[in-house]
Amino acid sequence: MTEATPDVTPRRAEATPQRLFRDEARTEAVQCVACGGPLALRGFGAIQRVVCPACGSTLRPEDSGALALIDRAARAHQPSTLPLHARGRLDGATWEIVGICWRTVLSPPWPWQEFLLYNPYRGYRYLAWSERDGHWSLGQVIPGAPQIVGGKRHVIAYRGRRYRHFAGADAHVTYAEGEFPWQVQVGDAAHVDDFVAPPHGISIEEVVAADGVELTRTATRHLDADAVWRAFDRPGKPPKPKGVGMLAPNRWREQARSLWLSCLVFALAWYAAVQLVAGRASEREVFLATDLGFDAVLSQEITIGEPGGHTTVEVSFSAYPLDNSWAFAEVVLIPLESEEAIGLGLEVSSYSGFEDGESWTESERQADQVLGRVPGGRYLLQVTPERDTSALTGSDPLGIHLGGPFGVRSPDTWALRVREDVFLTRYAVLPLPIILGFPLLAWLLGRRRERKRWANSDYPL
Amino acid sequence: MERGGQVSCPQCGAPAPFRGTAVSLVCEHCGSTVVRTGVDVRLLGRVSSVIDDGSPLLLGGKGSFAGRGFEIVGRLQLRYARGAWSEWYLQFADGVGWLADFQGNFAITVPAAGADFPGFYDMSVGTWHEVHGAKYMLVDRRAARYQGAEGCLPFVAEPGLTFFALDLAGPDDQFVSLDYGVDPHNKRPAVYLGRAVLLAELGLDRLRRFEGWHD
Repeated sequence: MTEATPDVTPRRAEATPQRLFRDEARTEAVQCVACGGPLALRGFGAIQRVVCPACGSTLRPEDSGALALIDRAARAHQPSTLPLHARGRLDGATWEIVGICWRTVLSPPWPWQEFLLYNPYRGYRYLAWSERDGHWSLGQVIPGAPQIVGGKRHVIAYRGRRYRHFAGADAHVTYAEGEFPWQVQVGDAAHVDDFVAPPHGISIEEVVAADGVELTRTATRHLDADAVWRAFDRPGKPPKPKGVGMLAPNRWREQARSLWLSCLVFALAWYAAVQLVAGRASEREVFLATDLGFDAVLSQEITIGEPGGHTTVEVSFSAYPLDNSWAFAEVVLIPLESEEAIGLGLEVSSYSGFEDGESWTESERQADQVLGRVPGGRYLLQVTPERDTSALTGSDPLGIHLGGPFGVRSPDTWALRVREDVFLTRYAVLPLPIILGFPLLAWLLGRRRERKRWANSDYPL
Repeated sequence: MERGGQVSCPQCGAPAPFRGTAVSLVCEHCGSTVVRTGVDVRLLGRVSSVIDDGSPLLLGGKGSFAGRGFEIVGRLQLRYARGAWSEWYLQFADGVGWLADFQGNFAITVPAAGADFPGFYDMSVGTWHEVHGAKYMLVDRRAARYQGAEGCLPFVAEPGLTFFALDLAGPDDQFVSLDYGVDPHNKRPAVYLGRAVLLAELGLDRLRRFEGWHD
């Protein structure tokens, strides 16, 4: 059955009316309808608007391919950081700048230049250069939907990464040139919300048109100015970036994890080394005396280490009984072969009580002191003990404990121990502040950098 | 008009290679739209043709998606206020699908069971909705009209008709299309489920050539 409509003439001569696009798509060179200036059309078919670089008039490609003037303008051409039709290599592909759009947030003023990159097989990318701080970013529309995290409106998650809301504002178009697959118009405003997880970001833009609303999600990432300059083979140096850009990487933060990890590894290695060295210390007992009375001065000759060498010496003092009382020992080591005596004081004490409904205890029943680099040789050990005499059993001849305060027992005996070749704990902990220092410093520097970044956001720290 | 099982264009007599369950076909030779109803073939005449939207895809291209081979057998071009895009009709060995093509962004969807939804105007962009057990965010709401067609289509696309559709996106790049047809107050839109794809992953055997570019 054939049902031909009358306005179609059955002519085989009209052999290929339908464009099947098997022919190569061609770039075109035409003239601006308004100013007559040359217009290079390099965006192939998807273009909605062409803005003449010379005069700024806006043109619309018709289905026929002709350009219709929709807004005549006479603005001067303004140079952008990168020129129209420059080609560069980014993300392993070649891109051509087919459109340039300057946009700005009005208050506080925050202008940027947006370069529309095009590759017919890969679509579009958005290269942005912030005029204020000179930082670059590359954007690509993402197909997925970022999720709002945990009811908090200012954090979103996408592909396992969390982004914090940085700023939300209306962006106004102030200048345009070239070709655009959307209907660009100077003065257009769109609400843009930026979320960041430096050096990555997600930008969400709401585009409202007569026949619908679209929420475009663009994944952005920081680019080094030098990398952009190299990618587009530009001469000289790029404008120097200032301060901390919205997506600028924070290497202090990026290295924080590895710094803490290496800190932990160092600390563990140091601990192992310390254990090894401490295990090798012989801790030989040179002198030990217990149950000594407080009425006599101890004087005893001892030998420490090897003559001509050095060793570490630990002197320990304790006294018994010790209840709300104290004892003190003045220890002097007098070398028999030289003049340099070593003197030290050791105090032990123990106090406890019951106050405001709580019992408390504060005691140090044994006092240890370690001496480093003690020359080996023979010494005369002299100890002069002293004690709290307020509750001595000897001062109570009747033995009814009335003389002293209740709950107080002064010491009756004391003990002293001297050991050589002991491990010096104070040297063992010395490197810890240095080991911890690196990540702490990185943390402080990282925080400083974040403060600078967020100073430009809706949430200055 | 049929010649030994082979359908030919009632307008110019060239072969009209209808595929699968396709209902309409745009004749490659004369641009006429040929409609198939049962064994009957009817000529709808010349409808407005497809405009060059710079797509790298080509009618007749063969590729694969998720391990299933397909052939691009038709294309519907649509136009709305912000531009034009194409829906390429895919014929898989065991079914059909659509490849959405908008400014270098691609997504493949296949028809899913219908479901009840609020009307087109009662759903707002940025809100999340459950479709067949998973949640998606509404990212695009638009009314569009048919611009043109080429090749085979499963329906008769009459130019000038406005149709309404919502696009939803999932957190893992899933893509859902709710097709309200010509009635925005319809409560049972056709559901298409799929995901975003990269052109490179489809392994298409042919792509369009562009002056000054290599793919």
